[in-house]
Amino acid sequence: MLGFILQRLWQALVVVIAMSALVFCGVYAVGNPIDVLISPDATQDIRAAVIAQYGLDQPLWQQYFTFVGRILHGDFGRSFVYNMPVSELILSRLPATLELTLAAVLFASLVGIPIGMYAGYKPHSPVSRAIMALSILGFSVPTFWFGLMLIMVFAVQCGCMPAGGRGETVSLFGVDFSFLTGDGLSHMILPALNLALFKFSLMIRLARAGTRELMLSDTVKFARAAGLSEFTVLSRHVLRLISIPLVTVFGLELGSTLAFAVVTETIFSWPGLGKLIIDSITSLDRPVMVAYLMFVALLFIVINLVVDLAYALLDPRLRKGRA
Amino acid sequence: MTETTSNMVATPLLEVTNLKTWFPSGRGELKAVDGVSFSIAPGEVLGLVGESGSGKSITGFSIIGLIDEPGRIVEGSIRLEGRELVGLPSHGLRAIRGKTISMVFQDPMMTLNPVLSIGTQIKLALEAHENISATDARQRAIKALAQVRISDPETKVDFFPHQFSGGMRQRVAIAIALLHRPKLIICDEPTTALDVSIQAEILAEMKELVSELGTALIWISHDLAIVSSIADRVAVMKSGNIVEIGPALGVLTKPQHDYTKALLDALPSRAKPGELLLRGSGITDAAPPPRKSATANLPPLGGPYLVIDHAVKRFEKPVGLLHGLAIKSGLSQPVTVVQAVDGVSISLKRGEVLGLVGESGSGKSTLGRIAAGITVPTAGTIRLNGQPVMSAGRSPKKITTRIQTIFQDPFASLNGRMRIGDIIAEGPLAHRLVSRAEAPEYVKQWLAAVGLDPTFANRFPHQFSGGQRQRIAIARALAMQPDVIVCDEPVASLDVSIQAQIINLLIRLRAELDLSLIFISHDLSVVRRLCDRVAIMYQGRLVEEGEAGAIYADPQHAYTKRLLAAVPVLPQAAE
Repeated sequence: MLGFILQRLWQALVVVIAMSALVFCGVYAVGNPIDVLISPDATQDIRAAVIAQYGLDQPLWQQYFTFVGRILHGDFGRSFVYNMPVSELILSRLPATLELTLAAVLFASLVGIPIGMYAGYKPHSPVSRAIMALSILGFSVPTFWFGLMLIMVFAVQCGCMPAGGRGETVSLFGVDFSFLTGDGLSHMILPALNLALFKFSLMIRLARAGTRELMLSDTVKFARAAGLSEFTVLSRHVLRLISIPLVTVFGLELGSTLAFAVVTETIFSWPGLGKLIIDSITSLDRPVMVAYLMFVALLFIVINLVVDLAYALLDPRLRKGRA
Repeated sequence: MTETTSNMVATPLLEVTNLKTWFPSGRGELKAVDGVSFSIAPGEVLGLVGESGSGKSITGFSIIGLIDEPGRIVEGSIRLEGRELVGLPSHGLRAIRGKTISMVFQDPMMTLNPVLSIGTQIKLALEAHENISATDARQRAIKALAQVRISDPETKVDFFPHQFSGGMRQRVAIAIALLHRPKLIICDEPTTALDVSIQAEILAEMKELVSELGTALIWISHDLAIVSSIADRVAVMKSGNIVEIGPALGVLTKPQHDYTKALLDALPSRAKPGELLLRGSGITDAAPPPRKSATANLPPLGGPYLVIDHAVKRFEKPVGLLHGLAIKSGLSQPVTVVQAVDGVSISLKRGEVLGLVGESGSGKSTLGRIAAGITVPTAGTIRLNGQPVMSAGRSPKKITTRIQTIFQDPFASLNGRMRIGDIIAEGPLAHRLVSRAEAPEYVKQWLAAVGLDPTFANRFPHQFSGGQRQRIAIARALAMQPDVIVCDEPVASLDVSIQAQIINLLIRLRAELDLSLIFISHDLSVVRRLCDRVAIMYQGRLVEEGEAGAIYADPQHAYTKRLLAAVPVLPQAAE
């Protein structure tokens, strides 16, 4: 197991280094932030001074190594726009996205998996057919449209839900969270629902396919032949066996939702990371873009590592192979 | 229906009358079980014999109430101690399953849940019928494992299925089936997936347990010899019907029905070596097409042809940089190395059939793959007529077309998305044995030679049965015009009568084409029928080698003796 973790850390390191070079070069190839930073009528002297101040006059490789050197000291640079350290900026926005994403992914899993298992257990019942039709809808409806509809129906027509913002927040360990207040929670429901829709459909389909296949397997037949009740068969045998592909998708979806909740956050004006990255792209805020993409790469590495460890927990065959 | 009623006890444990289980298929109904009647007395062992598709397994599943949708029992009755089971609601059936009737399945690799420990699975089966505390369940699990002769049950109870061999897993399945002391156990081919010696052990133990506990048994099998060694009475099934039922010795030595006779005649152990089996002459085979490649320069028949010299194959996982460091510093355990073939030297004479016999894991298949140039040996040389089979260098490739292989599973070895004509023509076209224009005619000739209708060429593999697919695989191998064919358990997955047809085909083609065969098998009676010489493999080494007749008559090595002793034998008629 230790050898395996070492191996993965080594891989992670390689990925982060490659990612940093890729992101740095990619972002520096597009646009000129100076045009955004200073007014068009500034004198050439001021222009040159600003360029020198940000080190933009140096060759690319030199800029890259300065950048890497600073990262090693924990300094990701300062945002051009907000004029504050990027790490601080990202950390201040992270909790909002984190709570929204977790709510969405947990809802999708906790509701989607049981529903999907039911649909796989009784594939021909009308309820199962309705569930599957719903899941196809969930796949095909664009997120932005569904979000707008949610706002139209619940915020504009009924007026029972707020249309945007985080609402009232409570500070816990120095971080602001919405889900601890009633008002914050009501602000969270619509965006979380919107964000969950696709994942919800995905979980339903995966759970259904896995359950359907397993219900015909000898393992399930043997369990039934021993007199186990259908509920025990489903909860103890089938759920454990389908959990491995589900965990894979859970991890991937958690990562991509955390990183790219852009559309939902924009529609519901949720002040999370997605909005931050969109804003920094439009204003060519290079340090934020670079740091954010690095953060995303790191996030995926960590999530994948956790998923791999979860495999070992779920499947004893892997435990032995790597012990 | 010939129902022998003389054996029936006044109060049968189970009475099946006119059972019909049908599966709707397309417009009609597939009558899997079509009017089966029999009864079992308490403690009696009934053997249910038939080929695949005869409905023997469906009969078992009907009794325990686990028929896959959309199948259903359309008629008949199943009475357990006088109580009708047909039409019982699902919770009523569940209360009986595992408690009064339990079942053991064919493949122990598939029946146990790989992610739950043995103890947990036994606990779940206990909780299905009684309220039991965790500590009591554990104690019961340990006792149950001890009952089926699993050593050190206190430790083994926390094992997961993958830590057990196939035979051990089947013991665990039997332990679970015995948990609630059922009155009837249905065993659906429980030893088919196991090696001969393990099979013999399980059979002996099962017999002992059944007589000890007074449990009745329905033993479903396609193998008459196994059934004869355990059953009191035998029922022979064909197309959903029981064609003959009676005391085991009577049915097997003095069969009344033609089908039973035909089944017995198809058994390889019944025929003399080298002779065609009685069944399987139904299809007339055409002569194979003329060989194109030069056959000059070959040694005379009987001269050494394929020479394997000190072949070694080690399997080990590649180790990454950091993992390697972790192993060296003692933080991580070293990777396990499997020595599949451990220095084997053997030569195949031209025109002979060499049987390679051993249990699973003995390295026989790996040796076959090395001989055929599929697997690269770790060390050692393989030469065909003095020429190396594989090229030298870092990643050796097979450089001869004169050795071909027929694989065990005809379902996995044919590409399901290619027409069989293309499958057969692919190799000859790639090696320019035939031109694109000649290919269709060439394929037709080979299809006719293996006893298939030449017009089948543009069908897909899924349209054929297992036996037909194996014929296609043989045609594919022969179309490459080889001199040597490595047959890796080519009949292991086929029914007896189909098996007889394929063996007959191999015997005929070998004579017509002067082929040399390496015949890999775990079935000693098939090997006896077909092979001139036999080599016995055990744990990667060759333990005995010699003329087939000599080895069977007078085995020298202890392992060979054990292997021969474990083969179930049919009782001989006292005529």
